[in-house]
Amino acid sequence: MPAVEEIQEFLPNLDCGRCGLTCAEFAGFLLTRELAPEDCPVLHEPDYAGFIEALHELLGQPTVQAAAGMQIDLEKCIGCGICVAMCEFHLGNCADARLGKGPRPQDKVIFHIVNGGAVVVHQERCTRLLQAAEKCSKCAEYCPTKAIVLF
Amino acid sequence: MEARIESAICPGCACLCDDIDITVVDDRIYQAANICLWGASKFLAHKRFHPKKERRRLQQPRIKQGCLWQTVPYEAALKRTAEILTRASRPVIYGLTNSGSWAQEAALDLARSTRARLEPADLAFKAPYYRSLMKHGLFWASLDVIRDEADTVVFWGANPLHSCPRHVVRYSVFARGKFTERGLEERRLAAVDVYRTELAEFVKLFIRLEPGQEPALVQGLLAALTGGKPPAIRGLRRLAALLEEASYGVIFFGRGVSYGPAQELLDGLGELTARLNRGSPFIFFPLTADFNSTGLYHLLLRELGSPLAPDFGHDLAGTGQAEPVAWSEVDAVVVVGADLFWFLSQEEIDRLKKRQVPVVALSPFANRTTGHAEVVIPVALAGVETPEIAYRMDGLPLFLPKIVSTHLWSDSRVLRELTALL
Ligand code: SF4
Ligand code: SF4
Ligand code: SF4
Ligand code: SF4
Repeated sequence: MPAVEEIQEFLPNLDCGRCGLTCAEFAGFLLTRELAPEDCPVLHEPDYAGFIEALHELLGQPTVQAAAGMQIDLEKCIGCGICVAMCEFHLGNCADARLGKGPRPQDKVIFHIVNGGAVVVHQERCTRLLQAAEKCSKCAEYCPTKAIVLF
Repeated sequence: MEARIESAICPGCACLCDDIDITVVDDRIYQAANICLWGASKFLAHKRFHPKKERRRLQQPRIKQGCLWQTVPYEAALKRTAEILTRASRPVIYGLTNSGSWAQEAALDLARSTRARLEPADLAFKAPYYRSLMKHGLFWASLDVIRDEADTVVFWGANPLHSCPRHVVRYSVFARGKFTERGLEERRLAAVDVYRTELAEFVKLFIRLEPGQEPALVQGLLAALTGGKPPAIRGLRRLAALLEEASYGVIFFGRGVSYGPAQELLDGLGELTARLNRGSPFIFFPLTADFNSTGLYHLLLRELGSPLAPDFGHDLAGTGQAEPVAWSEVDAVVVVGADLFWFLSQEEIDRLKKRQVPVVALSPFANRTTGHAEVVIPVALAGVETPEIAYRMDGLPLFLPKIVSTHLWSDSRVLRELTALL
């Protein structure tokens, strides 16, 4: 996941409040995908040409990723982290997730919990994408709110 | 200015998760990794289970003048509260399960000096448990031991996904421990409740009862375990077998047990646990939701020798009260970190209002109680904006440092200065 400073490099940093927030808060919502770069009106001005595209690249284009096989409904998700603990990939790659703890920032994960909701950061690590799709569906299977849809 | 804090503790519930990674920008939290939605309601002031809605923070003390609100400095709000308490002959200090240990100590001092009753917000849930424990014994283990050892886990009237969302992941179901290396696959799970909960998504034996049927199920289990003839309740025999085969078991019971005949049910469950302990270790564990409820009962036990509600005006024997306070006698209420008006029935609220019982509310957030209170005193968020101590649900005391600053007073300061005024 990109760091906050990296995101802020591509924001106007004017704190003009036109998005209803400060730029730093806006960056936070970009990280949780609750807002998209297009939601900053200032970025649509000619001075900032190319910034929106740069932000999409930085954020890893969640919509494109989701099309590859996994969608998390943040309206339903309660951030319990069962999916993080049960994920087949995490089992072999993240000792903390095995134990039921949250992954450390440096751990290799597919998704983790941010601000109370599950956020995908590296869809490409998912077993379903590497092998046949029917190989794994653990995250969705154990999600108590049925927030994860695999396709 | 950006700062990162790794492995911070979340004061969202009594799990007190210690793996929260926080990013602070300009003295404001804008990202917290690994917290559940409940935790987000504390750190980011989101509404619980309504992630997009903000919880409204209170900013300034206010008092009612006639029927109008007036914002005032802290000192004036304290003075008004002191007047209310001095006039009262049956004051109650209510709540405190969502307050840090320093605030709880200050509240206990205040209760002493005003000869008030101190009413823990979850008394109806905890008092029957403590009484059952005195009768049948304490069957206790830390959450870490439970994670490492438990191969049989029963949730009774408890929905951990609502009261402490990460409990199942970190300790009771999914976590892989020392002797439970395959986690979920190694645990046999059951749940008993009067309605279907999210637990049914992964708990295979889910026994759904009619309200009031729980004591019968407990007696039936006892009968089944001692070779008697149990009544015909769906799932009873399977649950009995599951309990019997345990090599290390836990019964987590939740607030659901307090909606019916709580004492009868908890006595029964205590007896059942004692009986099961003849075979293998079995733990009987209250699934506490409020983040420092355990700290409050520890304080009462330490200071007064009884975990029940202390009543400095009425209970001269000092044994504490297990029954909820009779609100019809109360003539002043100080609510600390709880939403009394959400908890009371409409009838009780109407009666309090009709009798013009003054209510003082200390709270970080606006809620139903602050909407009705005569004095509203905003306080800092314990463990986020002010340092505090809290006890995890298994009794582990933890220090929660301050993460961001605020102009608001802490609840312990408000309570201490109030006691000094009296
Ligand atoms: S509208 Fe854009 S520039 Fe203005 S505060 Fe929001 S993010 Fe910053
Ligand atoms: S298991 Fe479901 S509810 Fe829990 S964090 Fe994952 S997506 Fe959200
Ligand atoms: S499908 Fe399997 S590997 Fe992919 S995210 Fe879900 S649990 Fe992990
Ligand atoms: S389970 Fe409780 S302590 Fe853990 S993150 Fe959620 S609210 Fe915080």
